[in-house]
Amino acid sequence: MGVALTVVALGAAFVVFCLVDLARARVRNLPKWAWGVIICIQIPLGGLAYLIFGRDWTRPAGPASPPPSLPGVTDVTAARPSVPRRAPAAPVVIEVDRLTKRFGPVTAVDDLSFAVRPGTVTGFLGPNGAGKTTTLRVILGLDAPTSGIALVGGRRYQDFIRPLRQVGSLLDATALPAGRAAWFHLLAIAQSNGIGRHRVSEVLELTGLDTVATRRTGEFSLGMKQRLGIAAALLADPPVLLLDEPVNGLDPEGIHWIRQLLRAMAAQGRTILVSSHLMSEMAQTADHLIIIGRGRLLADTSTAQFIAAARHDVLVRSPRPGELAALLAASGATVRREDDGALAVTGMDQATVGDLAVSRGIAVHELMARHASLEEAYLAITGASTDYRAGGALSTAAPAGTAVR
Amino acid sequence: MTAPQLNAARPADASVGADDAPARLVRARDVLASEWTKLRSLRSNRLTVAIAAVVTLGLTAVVAATFTAPLGARHRGAAGAPAPPVDRLATSFLAFAEYTVLPVTVLSVLVFTSEYSSGLIRTTFAAVPGRRAVLAAKAAVTGAAALVIGEVLAFACFFLTQAIFTGKHGGLSLAAPGALRAVLAAGFTLAACALVGVGVGAVIRHTAGAIAAAIALVALVAAACLALPAPWNVRIGRFTLPFAAYEEVTAHPPAGLFSPGLSLLILIAWPAAALLIAAIVLTRRDI
Repeated sequence: MGVALTVVALGAAFVVFCLVDLARARVRNLPKWAWGVIICIQIPLGGLAYLIFGRDWTRPAGPASPPPSLPGVTDVTAARPSVPRRAPAAPVVIEVDRLTKRFGPVTAVDDLSFAVRPGTVTGFLGPNGAGKTTTLRVILGLDAPTSGIALVGGRRYQDFIRPLRQVGSLLDATALPAGRAAWFHLLAIAQSNGIGRHRVSEVLELTGLDTVATRRTGEFSLGMKQRLGIAAALLADPPVLLLDEPVNGLDPEGIHWIRQLLRAMAAQGRTILVSSHLMSEMAQTADHLIIIGRGRLLADTSTAQFIAAARHDVLVRSPRPGELAALLAASGATVRREDDGALAVTGMDQATVGDLAVSRGIAVHELMARHASLEEAYLAITGASTDYRAGGALSTAAPAGTAVR
Repeated sequence: MTAPQLNAARPADASVGADDAPARLVRARDVLASEWTKLRSLRSNRLTVAIAAVVTLGLTAVVAATFTAPLGARHRGAAGAPAPPVDRLATSFLAFAEYTVLPVTVLSVLVFTSEYSSGLIRTTFAAVPGRRAVLAAKAAVTGAAALVIGEVLAFACFFLTQAIFTGKHGGLSLAAPGALRAVLAAGFTLAACALVGVGVGAVIRHTAGAIAAAIALVALVAAACLALPAPWNVRIGRFTLPFAAYEEVTAHPPAGLFSPGLSLLILIAWPAAALLIAAIVLTRRDI
């Protein structure tokens, strides 16, 4: 306060001094063009004042504020009945509607629509370059969408005065001020949203960083940086969390910790959107999956449904495969012969296949129900939309056609 | 590792979008506090300013003890004419103009470019979506810090130089004509250069390019003007920051410069223009 008063006093004294000087000695001798220069300089100053204190230029033209959050479909989508919507299960908290983002010739996000509901952990999946981070940036108001809209709680993120109290986010854990102590880094973020200092200590304790709070973030390992990023996201104890690849660089204990944390937060009714390019990770954490590839929506489904819809069949090995195949086909199953002579049976369960074989006295040497791994199902969905892939590396993936959507 | 512990006080439905929007002034106070924390918590900032202050005061003493040729005589005096008296005012700020202004300008450029290069700027703008509020807060905090540093050092340089001059050319007191104005203006120039640095950093984003551009604006453009043929060097140069600052601090202004009042407006116009461009660019660009 003392510093501010000193600054104001010095500035005021200087301005007064110069004005007096100008008025006393110079005004009478000032040529006309000098007044022109003064006016020309005043214009940008006035413009600056207008920009800083005047109208909010960040808002694009159009309806000033979107309608308040309603359960299910909002007016924005009601105006376009051609867009199929799922029946509302819970109020939509994050809504992305026909979002497109182009960077020059590259379309990062292409007509993407989805909704995220509270009380669940929603996994946001896609291969590298699918547009996950771009979508999150648009939701956070960092990138302006080329078209479409992204709303949080029915409002644009930019319209929140203290957004951290609504949405905690982690975009890039390595984006830290290397020379600043962790405690000051969090304090600066907290102060910008009017969050008290005690929360800084609390989140440091919560993330297990309280012992390194005074160390500069440049000395942190990747795992510690991830924890610090999550600490920043939790500062205001927000009802919505957006985390971009939060488990990168964490050890198994840290991954387990994050999983527990996200589940506990979802159980409290919060809305959690976690992006990842690892299906195996999401399968254990997320209740709901939104899968995108090349900026387009590939699947929007519950994790359970996704697993159920994945390929599954029965592998049966027999010394008389031809007879068995004919028998099974006659009973309504679809039979495919594998390269090694085994039969892959779909449309019939394990027990029925065994019973049928016994009924005709056909020996069965191996009988096994097979489930495609989630990884395979995920690759089947995203395979066609992977931007960067190693040649032939995906040839073992499950055949296409298992797409959930 | 502790198990997740969450704030149980929060209602489970955790309503989103509840309008706790405070007044803009409250946000301004929040963002100012945040930017001040950022500025003061970097050890490199404190070290650089301390080193700049020590070097400035040391070289000011050296200049005062050794200075005999009048400042600007090259451009005014004809060959063989009697040397004009030593400019006891402007000489006080010779070291200040280089060894304080340049480091502080570079630090001001880093206010934005360091956040852009680390990616921290996304955290900043996610916390405060009003980008002009962030720009205004950074400019206010940096400008205020530079003004305090500038005024303190300007007064120190003035008194140090005059104390050394007392035995040689005769020292000036603060009450001498133009002396107080010169000292205050020297400090203000530092704030003006710092604000130019903040604006340039926000526009250019890359540290190396922004530092080069800011140094060019606060120093090199004026140096280039000096190389122009005779009437035009001052006619164009008087619009630059160093010429305007020199006009404010000298006891014997060369012919052709603006009046102190107009020079002050030029000292204000440069940072105002830089911040204005930054304000326009920031709101129109993806982060």
